[in-house]
Amino acid sequence: MLVVVTALAFDFTNGFHDTANAMATSIATKALQPKTAVALSGILNLIGAFLSVEVALTVTNAVVKIQNKDGTPKDALTADGGQALLFIVLAGLAGGIIWNLLTWLLGLPSSSSHALFGGLIGATIAGLGFSGVNWNGDGSKLDGVVGKVILPALLSPVIACLIAAAGTWLIYAVVRGVAERYTNTGFRWGQIGSASLVSLAHGTNDAQKTMGVITLALIASGHWTDTENIPFWVKACCALAIALGTYLGGWRIIRTLGKGLVEIAPPQGMAAESASAAVILTSSHLGFALSTTHVATGSILGTGIGKRGAEVRWKVAGRMVTAWIITLPSAAIVGALLWYIGDVLGGGLIGAIVVFALLVAAAGYMYFRSRQKPVHAGNVNDEWEGSAPSADRTPETV
Amino acid sequence: MNNVTFAFEAAWKVLLIGLVLGAGLPTLFAFGIRTMAWGQGGSAEVDTASAPHPVGRVIGILCFALVLLAVFLGITYIVAYGFGKELSFEHVYPTIQNKD
Repeated sequence: MLVVVTALAFDFTNGFHDTANAMATSIATKALQPKTAVALSGILNLIGAFLSVEVALTVTNAVVKIQNKDGTPKDALTADGGQALLFIVLAGLAGGIIWNLLTWLLGLPSSSSHALFGGLIGATIAGLGFSGVNWNGDGSKLDGVVGKVILPALLSPVIACLIAAAGTWLIYAVVRGVAERYTNTGFRWGQIGSASLVSLAHGTNDAQKTMGVITLALIASGHWTDTENIPFWVKACCALAIALGTYLGGWRIIRTLGKGLVEIAPPQGMAAESASAAVILTSSHLGFALSTTHVATGSILGTGIGKRGAEVRWKVAGRMVTAWIITLPSAAIVGALLWYIGDVLGGGLIGAIVVFALLVAAAGYMYFRSRQKPVHAGNVNDEWEGSAPSADRTPETV
Repeated sequence: MNNVTFAFEAAWKVLLIGLVLGAGLPTLFAFGIRTMAWGQGGSAEVDTASAPHPVGRVIGILCFALVLLAVFLGITYIVAYGFGKELSFEHVYPTIQNKD
C-alpha cells in the first residue's frame, strides 16, 4: 500500500510542478488572477484525467523491463508476492518525487515524466542490473529510453519553439495598427482558452502514467487481475491528486516560466499556449511521448524570439536546459540509492518503510527550506530581478 | 539506431500539424481581432481618426467562430479517440465513428 500512497504523492508533485506549463503565461500577463488560474487548471486537469480512458498500464514498458507485453508483471519478479517489483517501483517513485521537489525548490521547470522514468530506471538498474532497462527498444517502433525519452526531449522544445516563434511573428504582423489596449483585451481571452487546452492535455497525459504504475503495483501484489482496465478508485484518486497538486500551484516554477524567461505580453502568451497545446496533443496522438514541461518552455522561448525587440534571458534558459539534462540521471541515482538502502535492510517491509521515511524526511526538509523564501500567489508576478547584467541573482534565490 | 529515424518521422509531422494548428489558429484569431478593431474604428486603432466599418465586425466574429469550431473539433477528436471512436470527415461535416 505504501506504493499506492507514494504513487499518489508523485502525482500530486506532478500536478504542482506542471501548473506552470499551462498557467504561467496567463498569470504573467494578468489574463487571470493567480488563484483563478490554478483553480481553472486544477479542474481541467481533473476532467482531463478522466477523459482519456486508454489503458496506460504498459507505461513502464517504455523504459524498464518489469512487465510483459500484455501488462502483467514479469513472473520472476512476482515470485515472492510481488515484493521485488513493488520495491523497485517504490524506490523509483520516491526518487522521482525527491527530484521533483528539489527542482521545485530551485524554481526550475524540469520534466515530471523524466523524474518518474529516471527514478524507475535507477531503481531497476539497482535491482535487476543494466539489462533490466529497455535502452533502445527492439527497433520496430519508437521505443526504449532513447526513443521514448531522450529523442523527444531533444526535439520537442525545438518544435514548440519554432511554432511559437512563427505564431508570435504572424500575430504581431496581423495586428499592426490596432491599439495595444484593444489587442490585449482580445488576446487575454485567447490566452485563457489556449491555456485551458494545455491543462486538459496535461491531465490526459500525465495522470495516466501514475494510474498505470499503481495498477501495476496492484497486479503484482495480487489485488487486481484485469490488465485491460484500471480500477475506478485508482482513476479517481489519481485525478484528484493531480488536480489538488495543480491547485496548490507551483508558484516558484510559475514565476520562472512566466517572468524569468521572457517578459510576456498577451499576444505572445496566446501564441505560446497555442503552440504548446498543438504540439502536446498532436504528438501524444502520434505516440511521440514528450514532456509538457519541455514543450511549454520551448514555446515561451519561441515567443521571445518571434517578437521583435523582446528580451530573452538566455542565462535562465541555460539553467533550465541544464536541469533537463540532469533530471533523468539524477532521479535515477536517487532511485537507485533508495533501492540499495532498502535492500541492505532486507528489502521487505522494513526496507520499504525506511525508504518511505527517507522520502518524507527529504520532502519535509525541502518544504521547510521553501518557507524561508516563499513564492506565492501574492508575489508571483513581482519584477524579475537579476535581468540587469551585473546582478547575480538567479532563480535559486527567489 | 532506428529510433532516430522514427523520431524524425514523427517530429516533422508534429511540426507540420503544429504549425497549422498552433500558429495558424492564433493567426486567424489575430485576424479576427484586426477586423474587429477595423470594424469599431476610432480608439481601437492606432490611427484614431479611422471610421467604423460594420463589415469588419462580421468578419471578426466569423474568425472567432472558426477558431472555436477548430478547438471544439480537436477536443472531440481526442475524447472520441480515448473512447475508441474516431472523427470522420467523409460526409464533409464531422461525424463520430467506431475506430477501424
